[in-house]
Amino acid sequence: MTNTLASRGLIKLEITRALRNRKFLFFSVVYPVLLFVIVSNTQGGVPDSRLSLSAYMMVSMASFGALTAVLMGNSERIAKERESGWVRQLRLTPLPGRGYVLAKTASAAVVSLPSILVVFAVAALFKGVRFAAWQWLALSGAIWAGSLCFAALGVAIGYLASGDTVRPITMIVYFGLSLLGGLWMPATTFPQWLQSVASWLPTHAYAALGQAIELGGAPHAKDVILLAAYFLLFAGGAAWLYRKDTLKA
Amino acid sequence: MDHMTAVTFTEVTKSYGDVRAVDGLTLDLRPGETVALLGPNGAGKSTALDLLLGLRHPDSGTVRVFGTSPREAITAGRVGAMLQSGGLMGEVTVGELVRLACDLHPRPRRVGDVLSQAGIAQIADRKVDKLSGGQEQRVRFALATAGANDLIVLDEPTTGMDVTARQAFWATMREQADQGRAVLFATHYLEEADAIADRVLVLHRGRLLADGTAAEIKARAGARKVAFDLAEMDEAVTGRLRQLPFLTALDVSGHTVRLQSADADATVHALYGLGLYPHNLEVAGLGLEQAFVAITEAEEAKTR
Ligand SMILES: Nc1ncnc2c1ncn2[C@@H]1O[C@H](COP(=O)(O)OP(=O)(O)O)[C@@H](O)[C@H]1O
Ligand SMILES: [Mg+2]
Repeated sequence: MTNTLASRGLIKLEITRALRNRKFLFFSVVYPVLLFVIVSNTQGGVPDSRLSLSAYMMVSMASFGALTAVLMGNSERIAKERESGWVRQLRLTPLPGRGYVLAKTASAAVVSLPSILVVFAVAALFKGVRFAAWQWLALSGAIWAGSLCFAALGVAIGYLASGDTVRPITMIVYFGLSLLGGLWMPATTFPQWLQSVASWLPTHAYAALGQAIELGGAPHAKDVILLAAYFLLFAGGAAWLYRKDTLKA
Repeated sequence: MDHMTAVTFTEVTKSYGDVRAVDGLTLDLRPGETVALLGPNGAGKSTALDLLLGLRHPDSGTVRVFGTSPREAITAGRVGAMLQSGGLMGEVTVGELVRLACDLHPRPRRVGDVLSQAGIAQIADRKVDKLSGGQEQRVRFALATAGANDLIVLDEPTTGMDVTARQAFWATMREQADQGRAVLFATHYLEEADAIADRVLVLHRGRLLADGTAAEIKARAGARKVAFDLAEMDEAVTGRLRQLPFLTALDVSGHTVRLQSADADATVHALYGLGLYPHNLEVAGLGLEQAFVAITEAEEAKTR
């Protein structure tokens, strides 16, 4: 119980710190909104979908913003703090090791919520995107919960990479997953072979959750299972790398 | 009587590949005492402290802290520590970071007290990333003293400080000791060990060479300087000087001979026995620094 209380102090400070970091806020909140505004300016619909481009891109950009917040928030900080010795210093406190990962993930999740909501607000106010109240709630919940998968990936990268390599590795993973998963442009515009590859990516499943809700239904079982499987894979990998790191340090 | 000791190392060994950083170390620290872990760079001080703090695990042997594992002692809030190298969390203020350390501690002290005792109350609003080396050390000291610990472990805490800052820091360390806490600090400044420690442990190549008060260490080193002049000096004489018993160091320049001996009486006696007639004979005690060098050199001579 004391451990939960102790973690709370760290979570609070991590959030303060994330909200203070302008670059981080720009990339996770402002940037997805800007992209959304630019991309959704083109009229029309999405090939092979009943959704308007605005509605489609709203989910993509909200997912992208949440992805940015949790992936970047975790990977770079963890790698840098492992290298600087702050992680070692924390191991001299009663905070349990996983409390650190928990605090990082919780604070990233707090920052990812505004990145989702701001995109929604802009879409509703300026782009005429309309949904039922339950859909808005379900969309927020699904995209927020789905981002946990990438938070785990961020932790794994943070324990895998060194302080110097973490940024390029994160960037490659981040752009690769965003682009191929269809967050920037509908995957239906890809050639067929790429579409079949893309449909197995976690980001594709992630955006598909929101699109299914927009179409008035429940997310497809395949996407939910796929995302859960990726979550287990990333979280398992992160836990393994974390243990290896503590034994080494 | 395990509960009476703050720290117990039993035959602890830790290697990195071929390097034996800590080699069969056995020692006890009692509650409340101030102990210097003295040794040159690479002696294994940081490794020994890492083992004590549970940051590393021994290859063999056991480490107990207040009768429990290091991790349990830390979780119980009995141990605070300041590492030799250790980054701080960036983008937060000194005050926020110290508050975090207090939040994390099961027996926290008041944030204001911790700040003022570490001498960083005036910079509480400053960002951690914008501190000088000495200020950073003080912040790390504050993190180590955020709670009512029974043992404080400091790894070369005054590295990078100038003389004034160092002496001010010693006063801060002594305050902790005066509050009844055991303090264990690693250093290669002999002056520091001499000035603060009740007890000095000399570590060299991972092994404990000496354990006692600073005065005892000097005595144990034999720790006598002998200097004299010889009217006649050549290769043969130098050769004979090398045969002297209890000799730990020899330096001949011109007609002046300076040597160190583990037993000055016996060495001087033997000098006459060799048929040499020293003039201006002087015998003096060694400072702790020279005593330390003598102990470690004697050890190296043995392993050579
Ligand atoms: N992480 C490490 N990997 C390999 N060798 C190490 C490592 N840390 C320390 N050593 C070696 O172990 C020995 C003891 O080092 P250390 O404990 O840091 O000594 P000190 O703190 O007294 O300077 C040295 O020979 C050092 O080079
Ligand atoms: Mg060291």
